[in-house]
Amino acid sequence: MNSSAGESTSLLRRIAGQHSNELGLLVAILAVVAATTIFSDAYREKPLQNAQEILRQTSLLGVFALGAAIVIISGGIDLSSGSVIAFSGAICASIMLALAPHDASGAPDTNNLGLGIIAVAIAGTLLVGFLIGTLHAWLITVVGLPPFVATLASLVGLRSLARVMVQEVTTVLMPTGRTTQIYIYDNAFNALGTRWWIPLVIFLVLSVACWVLLSRTVVGRHLYAMGGNENAARLSGIRTDHLKWLAYCLGAMTSSIAGILYMAEVGTAYPAVQGLGYELNAIAAAVVGGCSLQGGVGTIGGTMLGVVFLRVVIDAVAKLVKVGADEYQGIIVGVLVVLAVAFNELRRAGGGLRKQFFPGVLGLLAIGILSVLGGSVTTMMFGRSAGAIVFVGAIVVLAARKLAEYRASRRASQAVSS
Amino acid sequence: MSAALLSIQRIAKRYPGVQALADVSFDVRQGELLAIVGENGAGKSTLMKILAGVIPDFGGELRLREKPVRFTGTRDAEAAGISIIHQELNLVEQLSAAANIFLGREKRNRFGLLDQGAMDREAARLLEELECKIDARRPVGELRVGDQQLVEIAKALSIHADVLIMDEPTSALTESEVARLFRVIARLRHRGVTILYISHKMDEVFQLADRIVVLRDGRLVEVVERAAATPRGITHLMVGREIEETDLSRPRAMGATVLEVRNLSLPWPGHARRWRLENVSFDLHRGEIVGIAGLMGAGRTELLECLFGASDLRPSGSIRLGGKHVDFKHPAEAKRAGMALVTEDRKRFGLFAEMNVGQNVTVCTLDQATRGGLVSGRVEAEQARGIVHRLNVKTAGIEARITSLSGGNQQKAIIGRWLLTEPQVLLLDDPTRGVDVGAKAELYRLMDALCREGLGILVTSSELPELLTVCDRILVLCEGRLTAELSRAEATEQRIMEAATARQPATTQ
Repeated sequence: MNSSAGESTSLLRRIAGQHSNELGLLVAILAVVAATTIFSDAYREKPLQNAQEILRQTSLLGVFALGAAIVIISGGIDLSSGSVIAFSGAICASIMLALAPHDASGAPDTNNLGLGIIAVAIAGTLLVGFLIGTLHAWLITVVGLPPFVATLASLVGLRSLARVMVQEVTTVLMPTGRTTQIYIYDNAFNALGTRWWIPLVIFLVLSVACWVLLSRTVVGRHLYAMGGNENAARLSGIRTDHLKWLAYCLGAMTSSIAGILYMAEVGTAYPAVQGLGYELNAIAAAVVGGCSLQGGVGTIGGTMLGVVFLRVVIDAVAKLVKVGADEYQGIIVGVLVVLAVAFNELRRAGGGLRKQFFPGVLGLLAIGILSVLGGSVTTMMFGRSAGAIVFVGAIVVLAARKLAEYRASRRASQAVSS
Repeated sequence: MSAALLSIQRIAKRYPGVQALADVSFDVRQGELLAIVGENGAGKSTLMKILAGVIPDFGGELRLREKPVRFTGTRDAEAAGISIIHQELNLVEQLSAAANIFLGREKRNRFGLLDQGAMDREAARLLEELECKIDARRPVGELRVGDQQLVEIAKALSIHADVLIMDEPTSALTESEVARLFRVIARLRHRGVTILYISHKMDEVFQLADRIVVLRDGRLVEVVERAAATPRGITHLMVGREIEETDLSRPRAMGATVLEVRNLSLPWPGHARRWRLENVSFDLHRGEIVGIAGLMGAGRTELLECLFGASDLRPSGSIRLGGKHVDFKHPAEAKRAGMALVTEDRKRFGLFAEMNVGQNVTVCTLDQATRGGLVSGRVEAEQARGIVHRLNVKTAGIEARITSLSGGNQQKAIIGRWLLTEPQVLLLDDPTRGVDVGAKAELYRLMDALCREGLGILVTSSELPELLTVCDRILVLCEGRLTAELSRAEATEQRIMEAATARQPATTQ
């Protein structure tokens, strides 16, 4: 009796130890949702609607965060997702426009495309995603570019290409001539992005597929191996070039799927703004979910929770501030990424909070910067008085911390010289 | 008796899970050469890093000239006159010798700009003093290892270090470079420099040291006067037990030729030597262990990489494995053909630190553990447990982190990884590096057993006694050329060293 109880608690502890990151995220998600429910009416008044909206947004981000996570686990980085989203939306819309039946005036009519055209457009877009990933893999494995550079070039280049392409396509196909956007009015297609459960199902199916790939196949194990130690992987007879090809294709193709969904959501391909900056959201979700940018570490489950956490926090801020969440998204993502990575690094280093955070002039300036940052963000969100309190509070707390650190280091050196 | 220059009192250092040093106390006398010996993991390097300010947090106390000191960084230690020359040299390869010597303490002229001329002149003078005949303006990366080391010593001299710590300084040197280093050491001592000399080579220690500090498992075993010690006694103190003489003399039956290498050459573009390997030819039989000796940079690792299809450039020449001509473009092809390579640098080229023991062991053969395309955890665990048991890898289980194993057991796990591929030829690149004495003997016995099962083994080592113990034949490389092939009966350390340093005159164009 006793021993079996002991065993089960030790098993629990083992599970908790192996999945401490996931458990922590789960608790954090629940805490944020609970806090938002308490401090804002929105969740209490329309729980179902809010839940559906959060799930839809989570799924849209989640789809390409999965790809980002696989690339990161394999030891690389894909900075191109945002632009691949815009480019894929433009490609998908262009194919539909080109194949759409013409109305009485001779203009393409996208109101009723039919499943055939939609399927062709989606397949074509996925093919483009595959080709983008293949180009990345070629640049990285054959030409020898660092992943950062190869995908940064795509980040800058593909959005620009998409904008030019949309203008060319509309010039040729639309009687109204050159525009910067393509509108798709087909209801069945638009449902892909607007019905809350469709992105969710796609996200869940992709998650399961990615989980099976990473956790249950030889290829998945080899991806982890390559991410952890690429040299050792190659010398173990693992075809690292092929694996990178796969990883970057998954990165680009999941972004293509997200691009189709985002385009369907608004019924517009508008590459100038669509998916702008989303690559960092995806990377942030993966990192918050426990993927190490050094590679070789991370899980699909963690990434899923990372996505949920990111979206829940963004939504909470939007509800509390009662303005559009878009403006605040960047701040939240930035802060969360710094906190998540710093937390992981501190845990790895083992020193924890005993580390000296504000040494010398650099520390002094950091205190000022953090206080001003915190104060100004709070001012913008909650008004001047709250901002002033946060500003002064931050200065007092951080200065006290610096003083304590200074004393501790003095004590250490005095202990030696006495 | 001269006063203690440096007094080490009750020094302790703990890393997560390891007590690297505990309660180590001894004095360093002014002007002596104190050798510090111990097995791998005994705490020698940790102690030296504490003395040189590389590790700032530790327990216990350091007293320099009777005053307590606690260095917060290497600059701090250098200011107090203590300088360290690491085994892995700490130089910026792209910068010139002079720039390296003055790195962080650059001389400046009246306008606050770099005074390159003064630094070059001073560097040239220091190098001259050390019998180092190189141009101080040459990038350090172009220099031989021996000269690079002298650049580090020149750096120590330029900051007027009166305590110099040398961590295994001869591990990469040729015989003549060792002789020159010893002359430099004699000159430094003449000037009154105190030297702490880490080594595991008994002949060096007994040639140079006044006293010998023996560490074992992070603790001080004894400090002995050289005159009162014998190499055998010191080894005994280091190991804490008599080294079991591994008896591998029982003759092995040699089988058919399994590997035939003819005129293997590996180009070295842009280098004066032009060839990393040049016209290397030899045979390996089943049931035979062939050793490859040579100095650092002689091409030992490159040879194994070529055979395994892992070299960056493709070699020329012919390789026949089991009678069939092979030309591997990727290690995956070599693996499939029955070749296995255990790499020299476990950490960088062998281990997957984030994975557990089982995953590390099965990484090469995971495709045999699949059921319907998916990895079967049960079959994989059977695979891993089987080989862990067979090689007697000491681990808490296959779920344990690979990094929690000792060096010797990590090495056995990696050998196990490759045995699962059922190879015909096993390539072992310095397999006992970073492995303690007891585990070494176990690895020798393992190699012997595998060999008796019909495997052909090609092994490199930087330690000649090791090759002399385990090998049936020894090939000697010197600057990429095969300069000797010695049978077990012919091979002696003397003959191997002669062949390993038999360089061609550097006049060939």
